[in-house]
Amino acid sequence: MADDKGIIVAIRENPERGFRLLMASYKEPVYWHIRRLVVSHADAQDAAQEAFVRMFRNFQQYNEANSFKAWIFRIATNEALRLLGKLKNSTMLSLDEVTADMLGTKTDEHFDSSDAITMKLQQAILHLPAKQQLAFNLRYYDEMSYEEIAEVAGSTAASMKVSYNIAKEKIIAYMNNND
Amino acid sequence: MDKQLDFEQVGKRMPYNVPDGFFDQLEQNVMAEVKADDTATEKPKQKARTVKMAIRTILAAAAAVALFFVVTKNLPTSESQTDTFEFVELAYNNLSTEDQEFLMEVYEEDEFINDNNAEYYDEDI
Repeated sequence: MADDKGIIVAIRENPERGFRLLMASYKEPVYWHIRRLVVSHADAQDAAQEAFVRMFRNFQQYNEANSFKAWIFRIATNEALRLLGKLKNSTMLSLDEVTADMLGTKTDEHFDSSDAITMKLQQAILHLPAKQQLAFNLRYYDEMSYEEIAEVAGSTAASMKVSYNIAKEKIIAYMNNND
Repeated sequence: MDKQLDFEQVGKRMPYNVPDGFFDQLEQNVMAEVKADDTATEKPKQKARTVKMAIRTILAAAAAVALFFVVTKNLPTSESQTDTFEFVELAYNNLSTEDQEFLMEVYEEDEFINDNNAEYYDEDI
């Protein structure tokens, strides 16, 4: 699988071939990141597809001084927020508005309720304020650095580190109090 | 009792799944949309190219006509078409090499002028 620099070079030389490399590396992480935010499979599918199309259309706007992975996840995050905003008949939700929306029931046939501990963990994450939720998901599931997480969230690395640690404490407390 | 959550035990498992072959389908859908985008952006380019060619042809024709009038405006009124062509030829010979080349280039590359000439000669025959 190509690394980020290889993908960027490939897109510049041959956009279609380069973009296939990008999709090979990122289609699963981007989908799962969006899925954790929007919960339902159908919504995640729509948002992921739109996010990748936006990446292709806006590749010229990517600044190489920043992390390519963070750029990709920022577009994916924005697309998830845009979709949730559309579902609520508004243009785009703020991070904190999204949190409340995500608490609604959004389960479908692509939801496995048999694994109790993972279900509970997702419930705990969905109870977090959006910034903490984003910090936890990107650190725990996507293993991003705090600098990269800050680029995705439009914040600072120090702030995202605090958000992650608070999120982790809250999740532990939630798991202990909801046996 | 306060227990510590064992994140290692949970790992990265999630209570979510996707249909079989979903990620391949996602990639196909995205690539199809991106290619449709490319096709849509090619059409205006083709139109723009056609408009540019038309403008170039009109400008070339206008330049040729203008040069014809510049060449002939100081010539005495001729009594016959033959005299006129002789004067035009004389005037053409008096032009600089650069102007002559430009005039010939405009004439040779201009489809509008050449098409008209073709029709003219066809009618004569």
